[in-house]
Amino acid sequence: MSGQKVTIEFNDRIVRMFLIASIFWGAVGMLAGVFIAAQLNFHILNFDMPWLTFGRLRPLHTNASIFAFVGNMMFAGIYHSTQRLTKARLASDFLSNLHFWGWQLIIVAAAITLPLGFSRGKEYAELIWPINIAVALIWVVFAINFFWTLARRNEKSLYVAIWFYIATIITVAMLYIVNHLSIPTGLLHSYPIFGGVQDALVQWWYGHNAVAFFLTTPILGIMYYYLPKAVERPVYSYRLSVVHFWLLVFIYIWAGPHHLLHTALPDWLQSLGMLFSLMLWAPSWGGMLNGLLTLRGAWDKLRTEPEVKFFVAGVTFYGMATFEGPLLSIKSVNALSHYTDWTIGHVHGGSLGWNAFMAAGLFYWLAPRLWNTKLYSKAAANMHFWLGLFGILLYVASMWVSGPTQGLMLSATAENGTILKYPNFVETLTAIRPMMLTRVLGGALFLTGWFMLAWNIFMTIRSGRAVNGAMEVYQEAPAPAMGLKRTFIDAPFLYSAGIVVFGCAWAFGSDWVSVLSLILLVVVSISAFVHLQVSGASWGEWYEQLLENSLPFTLLVTIAVFVGGVVQIVPLVTVEQDQVVEDRIQIPYTPLELVGRDIYIREGCYNCHSQQIRPFVAEVMRYGDYSRLGESIYDHPYQWGSKRTGPDLARVGGKYNHAWHVRHLENPRSTSEGSNMPAYPWLLTDKAGIDDLPAKIRVQRILGVPYPEMSDEEIYAQYRQQAEKIAGELQGMDIYVEPDREIIALIAYLQGLGKKWEPYAPAAAQAAEKTEVVP
Amino acid sequence: MANPSENNPSGIPVRPHTYDGIQEYDNRLPNWWLFTLYITIAFSIVYWFYYHISGVGATDEEKLAVALQQVEEARKASAVGDLDDAKLWAMSRDDAVVAAGREVFETNCVACHLASLRGKEESPAAIGPSLVDSEWIHGGNPMDIRNTVSNGVLEKGMPAWGTVLGDQKVAEVVAYILSHHDAPAGN
Repeated sequence: MSGQKVTIEFNDRIVRMFLIASIFWGAVGMLAGVFIAAQLNFHILNFDMPWLTFGRLRPLHTNASIFAFVGNMMFAGIYHSTQRLTKARLASDFLSNLHFWGWQLIIVAAAITLPLGFSRGKEYAELIWPINIAVALIWVVFAINFFWTLARRNEKSLYVAIWFYIATIITVAMLYIVNHLSIPTGLLHSYPIFGGVQDALVQWWYGHNAVAFFLTTPILGIMYYYLPKAVERPVYSYRLSVVHFWLLVFIYIWAGPHHLLHTALPDWLQSLGMLFSLMLWAPSWGGMLNGLLTLRGAWDKLRTEPEVKFFVAGVTFYGMATFEGPLLSIKSVNALSHYTDWTIGHVHGGSLGWNAFMAAGLFYWLAPRLWNTKLYSKAAANMHFWLGLFGILLYVASMWVSGPTQGLMLSATAENGTILKYPNFVETLTAIRPMMLTRVLGGALFLTGWFMLAWNIFMTIRSGRAVNGAMEVYQEAPAPAMGLKRTFIDAPFLYSAGIVVFGCAWAFGSDWVSVLSLILLVVVSISAFVHLQVSGASWGEWYEQLLENSLPFTLLVTIAVFVGGVVQIVPLVTVEQDQVVEDRIQIPYTPLELVGRDIYIREGCYNCHSQQIRPFVAEVMRYGDYSRLGESIYDHPYQWGSKRTGPDLARVGGKYNHAWHVRHLENPRSTSEGSNMPAYPWLLTDKAGIDDLPAKIRVQRILGVPYPEMSDEEIYAQYRQQAEKIAGELQGMDIYVEPDREIIALIAYLQGLGKKWEPYAPAAAQAAEKTEVVP
Repeated sequence: MANPSENNPSGIPVRPHTYDGIQEYDNRLPNWWLFTLYITIAFSIVYWFYYHISGVGATDEEKLAVALQQVEEARKASAVGDLDDAKLWAMSRDDAVVAAGREVFETNCVACHLASLRGKEESPAAIGPSLVDSEWIHGGNPMDIRNTVSNGVLEKGMPAWGTVLGDQKVAEVVAYILSHHDAPAGN
């Protein structure tokens, strides 16, 4: 070792801050979860108050759990381990503090705006645009702080944990920005720039990869540092790290459309979503194997160290969830599971089993070291483990029963398949009530365990004193830079690029392009395999050089995560509308309906009601003709939904009369006995906000929704006319509501659902029909 | 870490480089893991070829059309024999049919027409009209009532129950309603 020997003191203060924040927000997020789970059982818990209803609190639960709880946990783990793996103090104390306080401020802003009903109407992307910008900026602060630290590192080579951190930072930035592109209509409201099927695709490209790159890759990185540390054993296989890392970051991005199986999303995208999810199984299990097999020779630690228990159980749940994921992505399985509790169970297997257990392991390991003391109570940590484990099992098992039960009941037919066996949706809800109650119990047990952790860590902190880690390092000259030529013109990259390019050309090319590409694909794959057998060593050297050059490494990660998005999203957002729309095209909402739709979004109706009828007999019988792509093409944001706690609403328009809707929204039990829907009495008394209506319609026009040119007066006149008509019709049924109330707008929107479309023949097809000559 | 290579069952030594004390073995990729990967890739290629290149695989919409066709045939095959006013009146005097009809009514109709069948007459808050008075908005002949139940009157908020309940149950529920009325002479 050459170079000057210096002692560096790590910035562990920021790690302590993130750790405490994560424990706090974890408790908040889980508490919200238990509360909304209870609301599903006891509708009275919605308290008839707008800011306490399920539709507004569920986004609070998901956002708090993902971004506040796991976010802060990730930052604690990344900042702590990166300093040690790079042998460098975090680049900037200022940026670190800005990152911390900026992130907490964002969380507080979210916790205030979500219950107030400010929402973009897209799952896990509900926050309004000013907060979106803050998130993007703070993420950039994080990225600068991280990469700057890498640039100043005293350890040339990047450890596998760092690879995962790099992938996280790059990909989350890309996903977040694209899915949050919006045009503001005012300070607190905006419409996303994508509409209908495009919005659905972009949303789930983001939504699925939030799971991948926010909840999975950073935690895998954390696993790769803290698990070997905790069990004091070498990592099982470096080779497996390399292979599963690259497969994971490349394949994950493609899997998003599995959230849209059997919808109006074009078939080829659905198939890609399903197939890449299947191919994701082995790469995911690579991470699990490297975690579990690292314990070989150290399994005894499972008995003595609570954090090892949490890590092992966490990695096992990761393996379970990443097996269940591909299973649920198979189209025929998804036909049953989609829109049901099965998905909810799957998600919580991952979030409680993997994320929260890894977080607990991390905190139990970190706290004594950050405060230079011993864990206050190992017994309490063990008890936390068993409570948590039992809680997860109750939760997941009840959802495994509830999801398939409801799915089967909803698709069951009777009398030779001519009618539905359970025509009343509420019957299927009643059937799963015991399961929903068991879920509350499981969640409450898990939450109790988390409170024990909070107490245990608090007592640990009290018994110790904050200390910052330090390390003696030799400052070395930086590694020779790896040029672009060396990065790209080498066997591993060229073969990978060849396989991807020819693979895509085979899949999407026509006729001879496809055949030729298939041949080339086989040739490249075989020669890559042979070449690896012959000169694998030189590939290894190339990779090790890459590990000493963070910039080329980051570039390759960026390319790997970029490909899937480009292939899936670009064709759908750039082609002409005629080529996307099949046989129906949406008619734009009237001003009144648009206001009603924004109320629908504000109340979070999409959390429980889908607007997408799948092409299955039972769905067509229950809800009407299956949904066509063109019917929602102008929906900014799309409202296809992902869960049916209540029935689908795609064609609810005209199914009931206005009076029914008033009664139902005022008190759902009055028309649907046994319903667990919250009551919305304020819709009858509150005036609809229409000050920004002209601005909203202007933005819709900019987004390509074919509204005619209208003056503000014309907009308001149309609004009033339709509102008075509905209020008049209600009067005829002895219901007296002022036309300016919110419920009038919402009824206008609901009564239009499924009716706002006209037949559509693409211009190209029309031309072809005209010129076609009958022989 | 004290000489961990001794503990590695496969005898593979650790890699020379350590990261903050963390060492790494370089074990081979497990074969079963590789097979899992290869099988999923091979399946994907075959699946894609079957559905998207060869054109053999049926789409969801094609499958649905076939299934709906079968439902239509089953519906025709099991159609309740021809009904007319007289038969419906006769059913309305049959206790078994009326009991079955009451069950259907109480599950599906009471939300709007109330358990008393009196609807708005009993409570202005009710959505549906009374079914026991002498006034019929959409026709009071048994076959008219059946038609109203079966096809609904969407603009008035009466849903179409025919596809939901099936012809048998529609007939039963009509019989139940008629059982609250006096049959005309001759029936």
